[in-house]
Amino acid sequence: MNTFLAAFWAETLKARRSKVALLTAAGFLILPIVDGLFMFILKDPERARTMGLIGVKAQITAGVADWPTFFQMLLLGTATGAGILFAFITAWVFGREFSDHTVKELLALPTPRGIIVGAKFVVIALWMLGLTLMIFVIGLGIGTVVTIPDWSPELQWASFWSLMLIVLITSMLVPFVALFASAGRGYMLPLGWAILTMALAQIAIVMGWGDWFPWSVPGLIASLSGASTERIELHSYIVVSLAFIVGIAATFAWWRNADQAQ
Amino acid sequence: MDFAIETSGLSKSFGHVCAVESVSLRVRHGEIYGFLGLNGAGKTTTIRALLGMIRPSAGSVKVLGQVIGPNERGPWRQVGYLVESPAAYPELSVRENLEIARCLQGISSRNATTHVIERMGLTPYADRKAGTLSTGNLQRLGLARALLHEPTLLILDEPANGLDPAGVVEIRELLASLAHEKGVTVFMSSHILTEVNRLATRIGIIHKGRLIEELDAEKLEEMRLQRLEIKTRNLEAAQSTLTQAGFTVKISDTTLILNEERAINAPEEVASILVNAGIPPFRLAVEQEDLEEHFLRLTGERK
Repeated sequence: MNTFLAAFWAETLKARRSKVALLTAAGFLILPIVDGLFMFILKDPERARTMGLIGVKAQITAGVADWPTFFQMLLLGTATGAGILFAFITAWVFGREFSDHTVKELLALPTPRGIIVGAKFVVIALWMLGLTLMIFVIGLGIGTVVTIPDWSPELQWASFWSLMLIVLITSMLVPFVALFASAGRGYMLPLGWAILTMALAQIAIVMGWGDWFPWSVPGLIASLSGASTERIELHSYIVVSLAFIVGIAATFAWWRNADQAQ
Repeated sequence: MDFAIETSGLSKSFGHVCAVESVSLRVRHGEIYGFLGLNGAGKTTTIRALLGMIRPSAGSVKVLGQVIGPNERGPWRQVGYLVESPAAYPELSVRENLEIARCLQGISSRNATTHVIERMGLTPYADRKAGTLSTGNLQRLGLARALLHEPTLLILDEPANGLDPAGVVEIRELLASLAHEKGVTVFMSSHILTEVNRLATRIGIIHKGRLIEELDAEKLEEMRLQRLEIKTRNLEAAQSTLTQAGFTVKISDTTLILNEERAINAPEEVASILVNAGIPPFRLAVEQEDLEEHFLRLTGERK
């Protein structure tokens, strides 16, 4: 059997048997469901007022019940939520080998460590892609059921590709999570890193340096209006690409060279 | 000579702590090598170095003729191993855990999994989640993973850990048959000295990171200290009589102990002295220290 396919099959089996797959799907499903709920409320202002806090909150967040607003909320929610959710997935895929002490069973095999790490990254990428497609399709279904106005195929596809771009940029930042899950031998360090980068991303945006800080870029892409979007140019994609390359290279190097003494 | 395992001046430090220092050991093909040491002596660090899991600070490691070093090089297709406590993916069944190992070992035949499950007595647990296994069965799963690809070299860290007495005997017989019938080399660390005593053909003793003794099991018989043990109704009188006869006598609880060669070679002479003095012994025997005593004496844990 091809060594990569063997390692890939092993990783998919671990993911399929885990409850984490269901948990992440449930976590990501909150986005289109809440989005649809807001649209449902906003469609009828009278109902929004009678619903008290939720109605008021929904008006503050979204404003009007239409497809452009629906997609805008989905993109913003993805830009914020995907960072944590994808970090959670990556921390689990890599960190579980250390918390379950199974890493030592992966280190002296005919299948090289690099192949195993590569298979883990591919599984994570497919996992993230699957979740993204899931929320988009389910979002379309929810929007259709709620019957919100102003749908067009152009808007749908433009929103789809924006969503894919946000997810692509976010996913390019997860190798650092993999590195910290490996070097930290578990879950705490990578999740701490994810929370830290999320906070720093907000600070960078406030200070006007968001376009230079890789972890701010998904949020800036998602905010379709305003000056911040204009700043996302080539240099922002370059810093994200650099973060991706450094994270990937460091993770592979760590697995290949670090002492596995625990 | 070509060795299955050969280390030369192997040293490993973690910061200021020296875990292994200048260990040079040689394991011949088909040998069962018992690697003895107290907790923290450096057994597992040595095993991890043999498996390329840690980089030596100094020295070199060769396994099955290949230098183990950076870039993951190693004859891993021919090596089965168990390092420290066995681990498994808890939400996967025993069979699925072994299927993962089979795929990563590059074995195409699914029969290999079934075969090793039967061989290790895991058939009743094959479809049970690994997270629900007892320590003993988890150990069997770890051994099954090590044996799955029928390696020519087994590197096992405490293989009898967690097994019940019947399991210990079963594994001992399995390892012995693999070595004797299939020529498999076994390198095993253990703290169960009687197991090593019964199984190993060669023994290495590591203490505080240093290999302090390496010898054939047969030679150990010759090296173990002997002593003459005597029990009488009047220990003080017997001690006094034997001292007057020129022997050096120690009292240990209810026993007189004579370590001199003269006494060990001629216990009947000692018996006659005591009988003539009216203090006949009711027990007189030449005893040989066992591996445990030999080990403790060597490591200075018991004088």
